[in-house]
Amino acid sequence: MKRRDFLEGGLMAIPAGYLAMQGIGPAVAQGRAETLRVLSDGVPNTFDPSGAGANRDANGFSWNVYSRLVRFGRYPVAGEIYHYDYDTLEGEVAESWEVSPDGRSITFRIRRDATFHDGTPITAAEVKWSLDRAVSMPASARQMGTGSMTSPDQFVIVDPRTLRIDFPQEDRFALPNLALTFPAIINARLARQHATAADPWAAEWLRENVAGSGAFMLDSFTAGQQIAFARFDGWTCGPMPRLRRVIHQLVPAPSGRALAVERGDADIAVGLPPQEIEGLEGKPGVRIVSIPMRNAFQFIGMNNDIAPFDDVHLRLAIAHALPYRAMFEGVMRGRGRPLFGGTEWIPASAAWPAPQPYATDLARAREHLAKSKVPDGFATSFTFNIADEAVAEPLAILIQEALAEIGITLEIAKVPSAQWGTLQTEKKVPFFFDVSVAWLNDPDYFFRIFYSGDWRWNYGSFRNAEVEALLAEVRFERDRAVYEAKVRRIIEIVLAECPIILLWQPSHDLPMRDDLRGYTYYFHRQVDYRVLSRG
Amino acid sequence: MGRIGARYVVNRMLAALPVLAGVVVLTFVLVRLLPADPAAFFASGPAMGPEEIEALRRQLGLDRTIPEQLAIYVRGLLAGELGRSLVTGQPVAADLAARLPASLELTVAAFALAVAVAVPLGVLAAARPGSLLDHLVRLIAAAGVAMPPFVTGLVLIHLFYVLAGWAPDPTSRSDPYLPSSPPVTGFLTIDTALDGNWGQFRAVCGRLVLPAGTMALFALAPLVRMTRAAMLDVLTADFVRTARALGLSRARILLVYALRNALVPVVTTAGMVLSYMLGANVLVEKVFAWPGIGSYALDALVASDYAPVQGFVLTVAAIFVALNLGVDLLCAAADPRVGLE
Repeated sequence: MKRRDFLEGGLMAIPAGYLAMQGIGPAVAQGRAETLRVLSDGVPNTFDPSGAGANRDANGFSWNVYSRLVRFGRYPVAGEIYHYDYDTLEGEVAESWEVSPDGRSITFRIRRDATFHDGTPITAAEVKWSLDRAVSMPASARQMGTGSMTSPDQFVIVDPRTLRIDFPQEDRFALPNLALTFPAIINARLARQHATAADPWAAEWLRENVAGSGAFMLDSFTAGQQIAFARFDGWTCGPMPRLRRVIHQLVPAPSGRALAVERGDADIAVGLPPQEIEGLEGKPGVRIVSIPMRNAFQFIGMNNDIAPFDDVHLRLAIAHALPYRAMFEGVMRGRGRPLFGGTEWIPASAAWPAPQPYATDLARAREHLAKSKVPDGFATSFTFNIADEAVAEPLAILIQEALAEIGITLEIAKVPSAQWGTLQTEKKVPFFFDVSVAWLNDPDYFFRIFYSGDWRWNYGSFRNAEVEALLAEVRFERDRAVYEAKVRRIIEIVLAECPIILLWQPSHDLPMRDDLRGYTYYFHRQVDYRVLSRG
Repeated sequence: MGRIGARYVVNRMLAALPVLAGVVVLTFVLVRLLPADPAAFFASGPAMGPEEIEALRRQLGLDRTIPEQLAIYVRGLLAGELGRSLVTGQPVAADLAARLPASLELTVAAFALAVAVAVPLGVLAAARPGSLLDHLVRLIAAAGVAMPPFVTGLVLIHLFYVLAGWAPDPTSRSDPYLPSSPPVTGFLTIDTALDGNWGQFRAVCGRLVLPAGTMALFALAPLVRMTRAAMLDVLTADFVRTARALGLSRARILLVYALRNALVPVVTTAGMVLSYMLGANVLVEKVFAWPGIGSYALDALVASDYAPVQGFVLTVAAIFVALNLGVDLLCAAADPRVGLE
């Protein structure tokens, strides 16, 4: 008996020939070889690329069923495993594009043979409607705005195969923004039939239906349970995917996902905690893909508005008291890229995130603490989201022990996921652990999101007039040298002020069957089925 | 009797309406007392600022006062709408309709298994109190209560899937590689049988064994104990002594006279166990990736997604009411002394 068919077969004594009679046998055999089965902790809650409240799996969904004008290239990180390359863009629906000399307009040439799933051609009209929609829908408008795309007037149809985008000024974030999930190219002819006066962008319809242009078509969907994709054989916007069918299934228990991959019943297990991943290491037939995420980071947040964290000496004291090595080796098992233990307070490079010059040095921590407003220490709480418990809890205990050494007493507090967003938005937590991701990788973008502004993502509630001014100056800076000099100055200020403490860029760890090739990590952390194949 | 029975059923159902109305209002207010803002939870994608959170809040109607929101909800309820889930993105009514059969199928299978094992065991244990069998039954009962169902589930998975390789992978209700049957009842065993899809039928039955066994182990304990206790009680009664004195066979005394009289507490316990199983099998559903209403409600609660939680509580309350009614009718049938008023 090769498969576990005791319960399936043994209990119900149905003649084996029956299957063959029904013609199931061969179809299934072929299906398994060309079918990918992904077990995840979620399934999409909307099909709309600009859907309100979309979950992560919804990003992965639109990534595979829609195409975009351009896509990021990729570079290898290990044997046939890749990381997306933020600095290289290639055409997807666009076969080429041309940036005007002043950088204020980009003209895209659309592939002649590009079609939607229903076989109708992709023309500039549908591309324009899709981009008009992306800048108009509340869930995507702000992100598109970071690439200076704010109004439908900017998208101009030159001829059926040519579309021009006009910008108020040259913006280096324009093209990368077009490679994100939001500006998906939607079959406007189809979607428009379902638009109404109250719902001009057919949001109601696109939430539950696909007007697709991507390499995969929606095959079947059971809400909250399972989704199946079939390859779109008419896809011309990239190399034809090798997989014919993909089943993406919700399996809530991490142990269930891990076991099914270990036993070969499933191909990829998404969203496993480090313990489960460690348990799979070295199992025959299983390969653990481990890719340091260049756009994600884990950090210790300090609310600079809440005393005593408004005191830079206290923040630096903590930055020098954290047991980085023990945390990284003990909790992260050394997986990821450290952002501690650097040497430069005045950076030589504008690359960011980079290792900060904070290291475990209790003498130095005590010096800073003595200069702070709380020289004898104090008591506070350290908070984390229950969703991050597997990593955050052991970290919290290590931090608690380490800070006790310099007289800071911590009470560890876990917060339910639902409440975490509220607390973060209302800035109610003084001292915490969190994880975050930037969708675009330029250093100034990082500082603009995480070190400025009056919003949730400015985790430290950091306000610094010089940083604000520099960020405004570099926003559209065309001279690379000037840009880098100013970014280096921002880094210098941020290192000295220490509003939050970056820990490391965690690694994207994904157990999969070892015959899978071509796995690529993308900024959205979802599986791209198009590039996967079986060896 | 028939007419009285019918009037009784109608009266009981009418009497349940205020209870259900109370459940609706209470759940509605309770979920809104949770210290979490669904808009902040769901508008947490990249580049979501205060404006986006506010827009989502308006879209969800959370900017209105609680009485206003309640009025809107009740109006929808009267039209058969339970709102929309943010977690799944689907209407709650559709989600519950799709998931309730999954929960019922699992619960009914587990319950049938538990009753089929528990009642004979209880009767045998009571027939020979203090015997080895009696001690064994007590041990099983104690273990069943002491082991949380998810532990039992994990142990069973380890034994039968990982070590023995007999059970299918605990990740779905059906074999994802086989064609599925059109949904008619939502019970996959019935739907695949109706469709003549025997390959999938076998897969579905195979996937039902471990989770149903896990739940049955848990339900076994109260049923065995109650059967044993009730039987012991009845076996010391005068009419049993009379029957013995009259020389009736032991089997006839046990199964016809004693068991019938012991049934009322057993049926009552069984009703409680069944309703409890329906609402509280979340952990088994999670461990076996069973798409039931329990895990649905838990996921919604974790995300402070109000509508599904409200819909779940209302559904379970309605099922409780129906089950209680069923238990009372069964008790009346088992023991004529239990009258219907």
